[in-house]
Amino acid sequence: MRSNAGVISVTVVALFLGVLAVTQIQAQDVYSRSLQLETPASLTTLIANLSERNNAIKDEILDLRHRTDNARDSIASGKGSLTEAERQLSQLRVFAGMNAVSGAGITVRVEGSFDERALSDLVNELRNAGAEAIAVNTIRVGPRTWFGATPDRALTVDSVPVRGPWQVRAVGSAEVMYVAMTRTGGIIGQFELIYKGTRFDVTRESALELPALATPLR
Amino acid sequence: MTATPAAERRRLAHSLVLLLPAVLFGLLVSVQWRTQSERNELTVRYNTPLLDAAKTLQNEQNTLKIQLAELRAELDQIQTSAATQGGAAKDIQARIDQLKLVAGLSERSGDGVIITLDDARSASASKDIEKSICHNTDLTDIVNQAWRGGAEAIAVNDERIVGSSSIYCVGSTIMVNGTLMSPPFSVVVIGPQNELLATYDDPTQLRDIKQRRDVYGLGFRVSRASSLHVPPYRGALNVRYATPR
Repeated sequence: MRSNAGVISVTVVALFLGVLAVTQIQAQDVYSRSLQLETPASLTTLIANLSERNNAIKDEILDLRHRTDNARDSIASGKGSLTEAERQLSQLRVFAGMNAVSGAGITVRVEGSFDERALSDLVNELRNAGAEAIAVNTIRVGPRTWFGATPDRALTVDSVPVRGPWQVRAVGSAEVMYVAMTRTGGIIGQFELIYKGTRFDVTRESALELPALATPLR
Repeated sequence: MTATPAAERRRLAHSLVLLLPAVLFGLLVSVQWRTQSERNELTVRYNTPLLDAAKTLQNEQNTLKIQLAELRAELDQIQTSAATQGGAAKDIQARIDQLKLVAGLSERSGDGVIITLDDARSASASKDIEKSICHNTDLTDIVNQAWRGGAEAIAVNDERIVGSSSIYCVGSTIMVNGTLMSPPFSVVVIGPQNELLATYDDPTQLRDIKQRRDVYGLGFRVSRASSLHVPPYRGALNVRYATPR
């Protein structure tokens, strides 16, 4: 009797222990993603990013209100809305990479070993920092651009080979993009740790000239 | 009544059998409790106001994007009605509409593929958290692959990918076009199905994602899909520094 009771209690405790151990492993290892779990530092970066985006949208709303009023006035006065349409067309051509553009910005010069995924990440980072137009060497990056590599270690932009040293040029706010690239823990810092021996130089530019997309989008 | 030495030893053995699990039990309870309390201490002080601020900004952005869409539609309507008069206005309007279509400012429908990406949910995930969860770079790789395969339009969890889109990661939160999102991700790609499937099947491509799927249970699946729909880009166009030459 006594020995049976012992076996039962041991079994119960062991079962309970098993359940608890599993719960503990799950609590630590199953990754639950929620804003609630972010650190204050991450949340602060998120807030800065959101607030920058919202300001850009607010600016565009103001601009569009003004343009809508102007277009309406021109039509009412019999002048038509050609000026507004031309302006819209010009803005869209820049946005879609169909026009050669000039403007201030930064150049990221990469000399040494590098790969297509890193190039894609660099372009992604520049876009996040507000780049309006980007080119790799002499090839313009467009809305549907993809990055690849050739067997002889050249990188490709829309299947056109581009050889190092690479110059990634971006038109936009030079200051914002420069800080985004070079900040502690930023993408250039990470590249320097991963691609040892590769040289990365970021410079602010007062006037860049980028070509249009070689093949217009259809 | 005194117990025989044999019975005494048996009782002692029983107690010892229970002692080890009891100690382990206590240990686990305390670890569990500590995990819980550390998280609370760290987050309670600053996170509540920061969380509120982030949520308020995201809600504000949603409202702003609706206002922006309404204004764009209003301007479109003015332009379109002016263009009905024909001549130069009509020609420019046709070029504007075509550009909007290719640049991602109009909605698109068609056949293509859907790629789903999700954090590992299985026990094998416990081997290496970093490799078991999806990162923003996985999404940039998947999007890059879609353009390579001839995609015409892409949306990640309903955010249209355009020339200015970035897939950004802060902590464990991913942001696409400024919209906060978390797994699972659904990447809707409109384009030539066979070419798209072939590019994702290519064993030399997306090797890291495929290896993590096989070893750590990362969720990654590509499937053919018909009658897909991607929304237009709803963010700002942001052409302030670049001037056409």
